[in-house]
Amino acid sequence: MHLLLVGISHRTAPVELRERIDFQTRGLEQALRALAGRVPAREAAVLSTCNRAEIYAVSDNVQAARADLARFIAEFHGVDAADLAPHVYNVADLDAARHLFRVAAGLDSLVVGEPQILGQVKEAHTAASEAQTAGPVLNRLFHASFGVGKRVRTETGVGAGAVSVSYAAVALARKIFGDLEGRSVVVIGAGEMGKLTALHMKSQGVPRITIVSRTMAHAARAAEAIGGASAAPWDELDHVIGASDIVIAATGAAAPVLTKAHVEAVMRPRRSRPLFIIDIAMPRDVEPEAGEIEQVFLYNIDDLQATVRENLARRAGEVARAETIVTEEVEKFGAWLKSRGAIPTVVALRQRFEQIRRAELERLEFKMSALPPEARARVDEITHLIVEKLLLTPTEQLKALGDAETVGAYAEALTRLFALTEDTDATPQADREAAGGKVEPFTRAKGRGNR
Amino acid sequence: MNFIPLAFYAAALVAYVWHFAQRNPAVGRTATTLLVAAALAHTFVIGMQTMEVGHVPITDATTAISTFVWLLALSYLYTEMSTDERAMGVFIVPLLVALQAIPALRPGIEARAPLLQGPLFGIHVSSLLFAYASFALACVIGITYVLLFKEIKAKHLGFFYARLPSLQVLDRMNHRAIVIGWVFLTVGIVAGAIWARTYAGADPHVRAMSLQDPKIFASVLCWVVYSFELFAARRIGWAGRRTAYLSALGFAIVLLNLVPISYFLTKSHNF
Repeated sequence: MHLLLVGISHRTAPVELRERIDFQTRGLEQALRALAGRVPAREAAVLSTCNRAEIYAVSDNVQAARADLARFIAEFHGVDAADLAPHVYNVADLDAARHLFRVAAGLDSLVVGEPQILGQVKEAHTAASEAQTAGPVLNRLFHASFGVGKRVRTETGVGAGAVSVSYAAVALARKIFGDLEGRSVVVIGAGEMGKLTALHMKSQGVPRITIVSRTMAHAARAAEAIGGASAAPWDELDHVIGASDIVIAATGAAAPVLTKAHVEAVMRPRRSRPLFIIDIAMPRDVEPEAGEIEQVFLYNIDDLQATVRENLARRAGEVARAETIVTEEVEKFGAWLKSRGAIPTVVALRQRFEQIRRAELERLEFKMSALPPEARARVDEITHLIVEKLLLTPTEQLKALGDAETVGAYAEALTRLFALTEDTDATPQADREAAGGKVEPFTRAKGRGNR
Repeated sequence: MNFIPLAFYAAALVAYVWHFAQRNPAVGRTATTLLVAAALAHTFVIGMQTMEVGHVPITDATTAISTFVWLLALSYLYTEMSTDERAMGVFIVPLLVALQAIPALRPGIEARAPLLQGPLFGIHVSSLLFAYASFALACVIGITYVLLFKEIKAKHLGFFYARLPSLQVLDRMNHRAIVIGWVFLTVGIVAGAIWARTYAGADPHVRAMSLQDPKIFASVLCWVVYSFELFAARRIGWAGRRTAYLSALGFAIVLLNLVPISYFLTKSHNF
């Protein structure tokens, strides 16, 4: 039994190809159903984002599954397999686990540490659970990956700091004002950039947005486009700024519309209330000297870009610590996976013992028929307990075995000693018991893959 | 006995510094746990001393410092738990360690002068110690405000930007600490003045109580600084950074008053 990953990502495939290989377009469910119908895999999950398309599968035959999964990706999207082949990567077992952990942690993302990917990994798992193609191994793998994503975000700075200009502006506003609810924004200029920034502020919880433009009609149109915003005429600019907390300057004016003297005059009646000015216009709308005023925080587009660059550099510096966490978790997962190697033998052994117990009870049926029902129930219970006790230590020992070779040797010895049948295909129920009841509920897909 | 809380405070300091640098939540929880342990040990020590001498040990400078440290630890823990903000610990706990070293190195309680019995004296000292603890918090919050303010102004968003709450939150916390501290400072000074009037002429120390005494002068100066911060600063447009500096100035006076003035300079407060 092996874990297998086949896929493409922004690291291996150009965007034109990634656009065509997108499981989301037809829905993950359909992909999973198609996958379950044809692939020699016990379990499967599909992770699909705009930057990657990956299939995680559990299979007994790595070689066959590997080729088949790659073929499946091509066929499902109607792409020539030969075109796809050079871009596909495939890794197995712990390397596959490491890959998913790195993906969930945002270490494999285009922008290191971006937060959306963890949600997308969760979606992939949910879809596989709903389609009943996820079994114990993938359940364990994905849950572990959520843990890695969470640990990396809380214990390292990989996800810290805004990495786009508009997020950097919002993050700054939060660092100055705390909560953005109850704050108000004035946008100077009715152009596209100003409108987009205002929309972003609105999505972050700023309730009041006012647009001021030299042409009132333009301001009104922009306010309407944003929705819930109001427009104000140009000669009320000072008054509007005086009542606002955040100013977004985005006019096309050739000369500054806000001079230092201007801002000073606006600040005087505000006393201690801070004013955050974001100058995203080119050429600049606000005199840089205005930033010298005590409670004025002035950032222009270059400043914001510089903070974004600093944040990216800082994230890169945290990657090594995140990788350490990934390695730790891969080791934990590896230990769990190893303990599962013995499971078929454990199951077979249990079935053998149970079979003997039942046979003996049946043989004694005649003698026991005279007993009252309670006593017969006791006999059943006691024999069951004896079998359990006998199996307890061997089960623990088998699960604790180290490498696959030793497991194989033990399995062979046990098969001979107890005349275990070759067919160790476990029923879901028996498998769950064998795993000590710790494995997540089984799905039909597990049985289906086996038969 | 004061060594035990000191050891815990020192351990908590290490954990807070580590947490501040690494931002590992487990280390942060450890830091808080250690500080709680320190405060509990300290409570035990103060309780034992109270039983030993029959009153809360606040009548000489050394035990007053120990009690102040204890109050500051409790106030800080309250702030940390109510705001869920651990970043300030790295600034407060060093102060706890430094001040707790004094009682740890000067053990023993001096006998209480008979003059110092009665509720008025208790109110005087405990109000002032509590006020000083609030001012210590306000000072630390003020310092962090300035650090963050400078980073944002300089457009270099680095260490403190990633670790501190927003300017607005810091400003509000600072203000709250000053309000609480100012109320207790006022109560403490008034209680002391009434007490001194009651016992006027009873003791050479009480006769020495006037504005010329450094300890009393420093307390009144403190009151003036904080009153200005509270009632006047904002009206004349002093906000944010300037009030933060005022909090630091006020607490510098408090510290002077608490340690060197108490030990070496005062003529009225050394019973």
